[in-house]
Amino acid sequence: MSDSEAASNGGGVLDAVAARLLDASVLERIGIAVASTTLAILIGLVVAAATGYDPVRFASQLLVGAFGSERAIARTLRSTTLFVLTGVAVAIAFRAGVFNIGVQGQFVVGGFSTVVSIIWLAAFVPSGTVGGVVLLLFGTAVGVVAGGLYGALPGVMKAYGDANEIITTIMLNFIATGFVGWLVAGPFGDPEATATRTRRLPDNVELPQAVFGDPNLSIVGIVLMLGVVALVAVIMTRTRFGYDMVTSGYQDTAATYSGVDAKRMVISTMAFSGMIAGLTGALFVIMIQGYYTDPSGIGNYGFDAIAVSLLAANNPLGVLPAGLLFGGLESAGSHVQINSDVPVQLIDGIVGLVVLFVAAPELFRMIAARTGLGGDVE
Amino acid sequence: MSVTDVLTVARLRLVGITIGVLAVLGAVLSGIFDVDLSRLITRGFVTRSLEMATPITLAAVGGLYAEKSGVFNIGLEGFMIVGAFTTAGTMFALGGTSPTQGDVWVAILVAVVVSTLLTAAFAVLLIRYKADQIVAGLAVWFVGLGFAPFAAALVWGSRSSPGLTSIDRLAFGQSPLVFLTVVLVGVAWVVLFRTRYGYWVQAAGENPEALDTAGVDVDRVRYATVIFSGAMAGFGGAVLLAHAGNFVGTGSTMVDGRGWIAIVAYLFGNYNPVGAAAAALLFGALDMLNVQFQTVGIEISARLVNLLPYVAVLVVLTVYGKTRIPAVVGEPYETEE
Repeated sequence: MSDSEAASNGGGVLDAVAARLLDASVLERIGIAVASTTLAILIGLVVAAATGYDPVRFASQLLVGAFGSERAIARTLRSTTLFVLTGVAVAIAFRAGVFNIGVQGQFVVGGFSTVVSIIWLAAFVPSGTVGGVVLLLFGTAVGVVAGGLYGALPGVMKAYGDANEIITTIMLNFIATGFVGWLVAGPFGDPEATATRTRRLPDNVELPQAVFGDPNLSIVGIVLMLGVVALVAVIMTRTRFGYDMVTSGYQDTAATYSGVDAKRMVISTMAFSGMIAGLTGALFVIMIQGYYTDPSGIGNYGFDAIAVSLLAANNPLGVLPAGLLFGGLESAGSHVQINSDVPVQLIDGIVGLVVLFVAAPELFRMIAARTGLGGDVE
Repeated sequence: MSVTDVLTVARLRLVGITIGVLAVLGAVLSGIFDVDLSRLITRGFVTRSLEMATPITLAAVGGLYAEKSGVFNIGLEGFMIVGAFTTAGTMFALGGTSPTQGDVWVAILVAVVVSTLLTAAFAVLLIRYKADQIVAGLAVWFVGLGFAPFAAALVWGSRSSPGLTSIDRLAFGQSPLVFLTVVLVGVAWVVLFRTRYGYWVQAAGENPEALDTAGVDVDRVRYATVIFSGAMAGFGGAVLLAHAGNFVGTGSTMVDGRGWIAIVAYLFGNYNPVGAAAAALLFGALDMLNVQFQTVGIEISARLVNLLPYVAVLVVLTVYGKTRIPAVVGEPYETEE
C-alpha cells in the first residue's frame, strides 16, 4: 500500500480503505467480526438491563426466537436468504471500491417491477403450472434488469458527473421509497384492497415449499441464495471481469495501467450490484409477499446488508455466516416483538453498533494487545 | 488558473445552477399548472423555508469544518436524530406534554451537550483508533435509527412522541433559532477564513505535515472540528424538533435525510459556511413547496413533492460535479516518530 499515492486524491481514500481491509488476514477478520458482534450484543444487553428489563431473559428470547423451534428456524432461514443476497450485492460494490449504499432502493425498484410486470403479463399467459413458470421467470428477469438499471444510474452519475455515490445512492433510496410508495397508493393500487398495496400475484406464481412447511420459505430461494453466492465468488476470483473489479477496488492506478476503463468499471460494478439487489427484490415478492406494499414498511434489508457485507469483510462466502447472524437477529426480533415488552428497535441499535465496531479494527487490536487476550485478533 | 479564478468559476456555476433550477421550476409551474408565481411565493413560504433550512444549515456548517480539517463526518444524519430525540425527551422530562418555553431552551442545550459527548466518543474512534470514516459514519446513522426510536418507545410507549411544544416565534413570525443560525453562519465564516484557528483547520486538511512542523497538533485540531460538527448536527436536530414540536421516530425518523442533504449543501456551497447556508435555503424551500402547492390548488401528491429536495441533490451533484475536496480527507494522520 502506497501512502503517498493514496494521499493524492479523493479516490485515494478508497484505496487506503480497501488496502487496509485486504491487509488483514482472514483469521484476523474473523476475530474482529466475532469480537464486534459479541461486544455489540453485550452492550445491547447492558442497555436492556439499564432500562429495567431482564438481560438474561432478553438474551434467551433472542436465541429462542432465532433457533428455538422449527418455525423459528424457517423464519430465520427466510430472512437469511434476503440478507445474504442483498449482502452479496453490497459486497460486489464495496470490493470494487464503490460505496453502493443504494441496495435498499434497488431492492425496492426490482421487487415492485417484478410484481407489476407479472400482473401485466398474466393476462396473456394461460393459467396453470407452465404459465406460472413463464410468469415467474419473466418477472424475475424484469426485477433483475430494473434493479440493475437503478443501480447503474448512480454509477453513470459518478463516472460522468463525478457525483459522490454514497450521497446519490442514499438520495435514490429516499426517491425509490417515496415514488414506489406513491405508485402503490395511486396508479398501481388495488382498488378492492383496504390496505395500501398492489393487486396480488396470480395463484400459479409460487415456489415449492421447503422442508419446514413454512409457506413463505421455498427450497428454490435457498438454492438461489447458495447459487448466487457461488457464482459471485467464482466471478470475483476466477474471471477477468472480477479481477479487474477487485483491482479497481484496492489499486485503481494499477487497474488503469492494465487497461481497465475506470468509468465503465464503476458503471458495470453498480449495475452488477443492482442486479443482485433486484433479484432479491423479485425473490422477496414471489416467495414471501405476493404483492407490493408501501416500501417504507417492508424492512431494511438493503441497509442491514451493508452491515452483513462489512462483517464478512466484503467476501461473498463470508456473507453466508454474516447473513445467518442477521437473519437470526431479525427472526428473534419478530419473536421479541410478540413475546416480550422490550422495544424491538433495540435490535436495530445493536446492528448499528456491530457496524461501528467493524469499522474500527484498531480498537480490537489495541484491546487484544493490552489484555494479552485474543491471540487470533492480533 | 489562479485560485481566485477557480473560485469565481465555481461561484458562477453555483449561481447558474441555482437560477437554472428555479427557472425550470417556475416555467413548469406557470406553464403546465397555470399558476401565478406571485401567489406561490408568499411571506409564509419564505418563513417556512427559512425554518426548514435552519437544521440543514447548522449540520452543514459543522460538517464542513470537520471535512476542511480532513475528517469526513458522514454521521451528521445520526447525530441529528440524537439531537432531535434528546430535545423531545428532555422537554417531556421537564414539562410533560406541555413544557414551557424555558424547558424548550434547556432541552436544546441538553441535546447539544449529549451530542457533543457522543461525538467525542466517535472522534476517538475515528482519530485515535483510525476507524474507517465512511463505515463508522454510516454506523452512527444506524445507531441513531435504532436507539432513538427504542428510547422513544421506552418513554412514550411508541416510536413517536405526543405533541409537546414548539418554540415561540419572534419578529416577522420568525423563530429565534433562525436568527441565531444566521449569526452562527457569520461567525463560522469569520473563524474559518479570517482567524489563525481557521487556517489551522484548513491546513489540517490540506497539508497536515506543514501544520505539524509548525508545532500545531494535527489530531487536536481534528478532535475539535469533529466534536464541533457533531454538536452542530445535534443542535440542528434540536432546532428541527423545536420547530416541529413533536418527535417522529417511524421510518427514517423526522430527520428523514436532512443530515445527508446537509453534506450536499456544504459541497454545493464549496465549503463556505455562507454558500452552505444558501444551498440549505434552496433545499429548505423545495421541501416547503408542498404547502404552497396546496394553497394555490395544484393537485399533486404531497409524497411526490417531498421528493423534490432529493432530486435536486442528484441534479446538483451530477451537474456541479466535483468540488475541490481537501487533500487528505479520510486519512488518519501519522506523526513522524
